[in-house]
Amino acid sequence: MQDDYANIWGIRLQWAYLLAVVFVLMVPVFYNLYISFNEFGFGAARYEFTLDWYGVIFTDRLLTGAMGWTLALALVTVVFVVPMGLLTAKLFKQAGRRLKLTVVAVMLLPLFVPADIFASALLVFFKQLNRIFQTVAEMTGIGAFETWFELGFMTAVIGLIIYTIPYVFIVILITMGRYRAEQTEAARSCGATAWRAFWDVEFPQIRAGVFSSCAFTVILAFNEYVRTSTLKGGFDTFTSVLVSQMLNIGMSEQSYAMGGLISAVAITVIGSIIVFTLVRTDRLQRIERAKAQPVGAD
Amino acid sequence: MNETKDIAIEVVGLSKSYGPVRALRSVDIAIGRNEYFVLLGPSGGGKTTLLRMIGGFTKPTAGRILLHGVDVAHLPPDKRPTCMVFQSYALFPHMTVAGNVGYGLKLKGMSKAEIQVRLDAVLEMVGLNGYQARMPWELSGGQQQRVQLARALVLEPEILLLDEPLAALDEQLRKDMCIWLKHLQERVGITFIHVTHNQEEAMSVADRIALIADGELVECGDARQVYRTPARRFTASFMGESNLLDGTVAEVSGDGTVTVDVGIARVAVPSADATAGIQAAVSVRSEAMRLIPRDQAQGADEQALDAIYQEEIYLGLMTRQIMALPNGQTISVRSVSDDDEAPAFQAGDAVRVVWKTAAGRLHLS
Repeated sequence: MQDDYANIWGIRLQWAYLLAVVFVLMVPVFYNLYISFNEFGFGAARYEFTLDWYGVIFTDRLLTGAMGWTLALALVTVVFVVPMGLLTAKLFKQAGRRLKLTVVAVMLLPLFVPADIFASALLVFFKQLNRIFQTVAEMTGIGAFETWFELGFMTAVIGLIIYTIPYVFIVILITMGRYRAEQTEAARSCGATAWRAFWDVEFPQIRAGVFSSCAFTVILAFNEYVRTSTLKGGFDTFTSVLVSQMLNIGMSEQSYAMGGLISAVAITVIGSIIVFTLVRTDRLQRIERAKAQPVGAD
Repeated sequence: MNETKDIAIEVVGLSKSYGPVRALRSVDIAIGRNEYFVLLGPSGGGKTTLLRMIGGFTKPTAGRILLHGVDVAHLPPDKRPTCMVFQSYALFPHMTVAGNVGYGLKLKGMSKAEIQVRLDAVLEMVGLNGYQARMPWELSGGQQQRVQLARALVLEPEILLLDEPLAALDEQLRKDMCIWLKHLQERVGITFIHVTHNQEEAMSVADRIALIADGELVECGDARQVYRTPARRFTASFMGESNLLDGTVAEVSGDGTVTVDVGIARVAVPSADATAGIQAAVSVRSEAMRLIPRDQAQGADEQALDAIYQEEIYLGLMTRQIMALPNGQTISVRSVSDDDEAPAFQAGDAVRVVWKTAAGRLHLS
């Protein structure tokens, strides 16, 4: 009987297919990089390599301003969404079967609502909420209430949190899957408080998931257009500037350079996480293999 | 045998319910200082629940847990004078042996030098000198369990809780570890509470055994007493290999025996407190029984039941012989294998199962 797994050409074909898929997916990114190094920009007949556009990125006020806002949105979202995702994943692990189903349903629900519908729903919700708060401000005379739910940074952050939390929850939950609760109990038994047990014993083992979810959230915040544009109010984000440029005047050369820079950073960060995770997985597999060995005399 | 006059742990009316399921029902136990106490019972009986409540990992629904006279039922595990050893080893995989064992000392704020001194001492005690830099996955199961013990013992707890500590080890290693654990307890002189479902393991280490099943404390006593003179029917069926005959007390004699009608015959058992007409069970350990040909009479101090010989199962040291009683119930007799004096029987032979009257036990519950 033929052993399909021993067919080296089958394995090579699988790898070739995988690399071809990755290549096709990455072609636009490489093309953006290619343009960003051309002195004559997009669509020019001539190509001359230059790093100049990268040099002028930070002189473009519109671009740097939008970049700053996007980065701020991303970081604030990370600060809120990662602990939220982590706590929910912990709750999920401790919950009974019925509560587990509820938690999963609530956490994953945002994934099933189309972005534009979610964005417009949130817009209407915040507008209505703002109106209520303005009425409260008029009745109480406390002016601070008036602007609480005006479209702006906070509403954009809330939109991003709702958008990113399912991903954060899943990424952390996957890394938590390997963790055994007895280790927390063992730490408590050694005298650790609940926090110390988490920090000393559990966190080091789920760190890769937490850091991955941080990186993922930042990338999603840069990636997101519909919700952020609808909820951001008066400032520009990197994506909204790019889209606006494309629709109106065409992207500037430094925008290509900025795109290239962000892509390079994202690829480096994600690549590092993948390499780290692979190394860690290999280590854990060795642990599992060692555990699987029959227990013999010492 | 350890001194058990002082009470280290007292559990009063302890109960645990999970919704409609009652995992533990109003259990009362007192465990002495420096005692090796074993909670024995079938899986799902409630023994681990009881241990986890003593350790502070499970909150009781009702009842009190007194550790050296202080009620600790409301305290978290890190505030109790106990330390737990888990079945699954629960070593911290990202720490070395030294990191694992020294973790609790670090939490106590000890200096590195102090930690090192105590580490060396405890690793010496558990026979793991030179393993400090090893990672948990570089150790065998027995070594991992000893690291776990070292991690607990280095903190000098007053009470050590062991939840099925040997369940993951192979047979021979488990036997060795039983003896080692018993000696260790005698050396460190603290209270050990050991949960197991393995009767041999329990008998090997225990000063006293509490049998727990269906969330209830069935019986508690020293190992020999629980094995030899079980008070309850369940104890007789769980400990060792006993034959149980259900019936009714037919007659109470003045000589300290009662006669029980077991349907197919009447058998006498020693008992002082039984009333004629009540339901009862007679248990006889299978190694206390022997087989004789049907035409041979039993001794004056012996009881007998007629049976049909069915088969023989060779167990190495022992051989189990299985017979059928006239009512269809099977009965087993164990004897030392290769005993040349024992009569040989074939399947279908008419035999008599006999035992000394004093070997029978009467169970009223």
